[in-house]
Amino acid sequence: MTTWPTVAPEAPTSSGPATLDPDAQFDLAQHRAGIRRARLRRIGLGGAGLVVVLALWELIAVLLNDPVALPTVSATASAFGHYLTNPYPSQSKTLPGDLAISLQRILIGFAIGTVIGVAVGAAMSASQVIRQLIDPVIEVIRPLPPLAFIPLFIVWFGIGELPKEVLLVFGTVPIMTVATVAALKEVPDDLRLCARTLGASRGYTLVHVQIPAALPGIVTGMRFAMAGAWTSIVAAEMLAATSGVGYLISQAGNYLNTSLVFAGIITIAITGLILDACLRGLLLVVDPSRRS
Amino acid sequence: MAADPTPAVSPNGTVTQVTGAEVRVRSIGKTFRRRGRRTVALSGIDLDVRAGEFVCLLGPSGCGKSTLLRIVAGALDADEGQVTVGSEPVSGPSPDRGMLFQSPLLFPWLTTRKNVLFGPKAQRSRGLHERDDPELDADADRILDTVGLGQFGDAFPHELSGGMRHRAAFARALMTRPSLLLMDEPFGALDAITRLRMHEFLLGIWRQYRMTIIFVTHDIEESVLLADRVAVMGGKPPTISEIIDIPLERPRDADDLDTTEFLAIKRQIRASLAL
Repeated sequence: MTTWPTVAPEAPTSSGPATLDPDAQFDLAQHRAGIRRARLRRIGLGGAGLVVVLALWELIAVLLNDPVALPTVSATASAFGHYLTNPYPSQSKTLPGDLAISLQRILIGFAIGTVIGVAVGAAMSASQVIRQLIDPVIEVIRPLPPLAFIPLFIVWFGIGELPKEVLLVFGTVPIMTVATVAALKEVPDDLRLCARTLGASRGYTLVHVQIPAALPGIVTGMRFAMAGAWTSIVAAEMLAATSGVGYLISQAGNYLNTSLVFAGIITIAITGLILDACLRGLLLVVDPSRRS
Repeated sequence: MAADPTPAVSPNGTVTQVTGAEVRVRSIGKTFRRRGRRTVALSGIDLDVRAGEFVCLLGPSGCGKSTLLRIVAGALDADEGQVTVGSEPVSGPSPDRGMLFQSPLLFPWLTTRKNVLFGPKAQRSRGLHERDDPELDADADRILDTVGLGQFGDAFPHELSGGMRHRAAFARALMTRPSLLLMDEPFGALDAITRLRMHEFLLGIWRQYRMTIIFVTHDIEESVLLADRVAVMGGKPPTISEIIDIPLERPRDADDLDTTEFLAIKRQIRASLAL
């Protein structure tokens, strides 16, 4: 059994660590309650801003009185409500149906792209040869807009699901590679040394220290990649698809169903916010210091 | 400054005596090569540290004191010479040689208690000991109490103040029962008041645990307050130019900083640094 002493026989009475400590006043529960209050205030103010924008929209739409140019908020809301359950005639899918198709595309493409990007980034961090080999390729690809490749991918892969997935992977990989390389580079050497002096093996240090330390940077990269992926997939669906939210919006536009166009855009906005919120939630899990 | 033998438990659970290890540094040399340029970082370093002794390595930036500390830690290989801690020659980092840095380097994704438990759990995964979770938890709570963080086991590092983070780093290092503690300007980034408090805290911990300590600093006053002996480093190529005894009585605290004796030693060290 452990017999390591907590207080040595000659322990001082005047200069013990606890008695000198003004930090003892610090109340953790109070500190955390303060953070929660600040968060509530932020949410309240953000909501107020959105309400102001909606009110302006409604006012302009009523004054304009032209539902094809600008439907009112209430008309948009009722179109949204209607197509939640009723299919749009030209393609026989409801709004959630199209959303599900877009989401499936994005999650598959984004997941594959993220895995490849992190793997390539980790390999580049581990080996200088690999880094010098791949770096120029990534730097050339990174500034290219993935959308420019849509016609090429249609020629190569047809108009099925494959070109969309390739497009998403193509957009995600460079962002995730660069984010992973940067995140691993940011991990201080001394943090690794610290783990090693505490008795961790190299492998344990990699899994339990280097990767967790890099995760916040990697997840931040995922947020950028997700925003790009969402843009790409909607555009691709407008150009070359027969399903998905992008296709629904372009169809509604062709038939001057403007309130459905708005409903589609709002669907994209809400879904984008939810996807980003999931990633921000993940960020809070991997980096507790962001909780304040 | 002979250490009182203190009963302790080695990681495998057997009770051992004496926690401080003897350190022998023999003709250590180190040269860095960068872009074809050779920089001699250390040359002909000899140093003996007694079991349970507190030695400061003092010198200006770039005098190789951190390099020497890292060689003793096993984080850096020397080009020449050998370091022995206890009876073992140093090769690679070991939990027997704890290290504390200028930044506390806590793992920000773990609570304070989980930070403290990192060492024992990492060692257990290599089969270095068999202590189970309840035993480790109880031990972690005791050490958190010792460093005055008993209430803060569930706090994350970012929720602690600067001084508290350093004490948490101490608790994490103490968990692995190091016989030698290597400290690289650990309080360099703290404000002067917190720093004084951390000095008294460190001396309290050392009095209690009696490990050997090698402490790197560029602050003359800090070295005199803390050390049994100060090894003054400098020169080209960098080496240990003089080792100065600090005969001040212990326990020492901030009140000793203004005594004539203290000031005389400071002057002696300044002279040794050719200031």
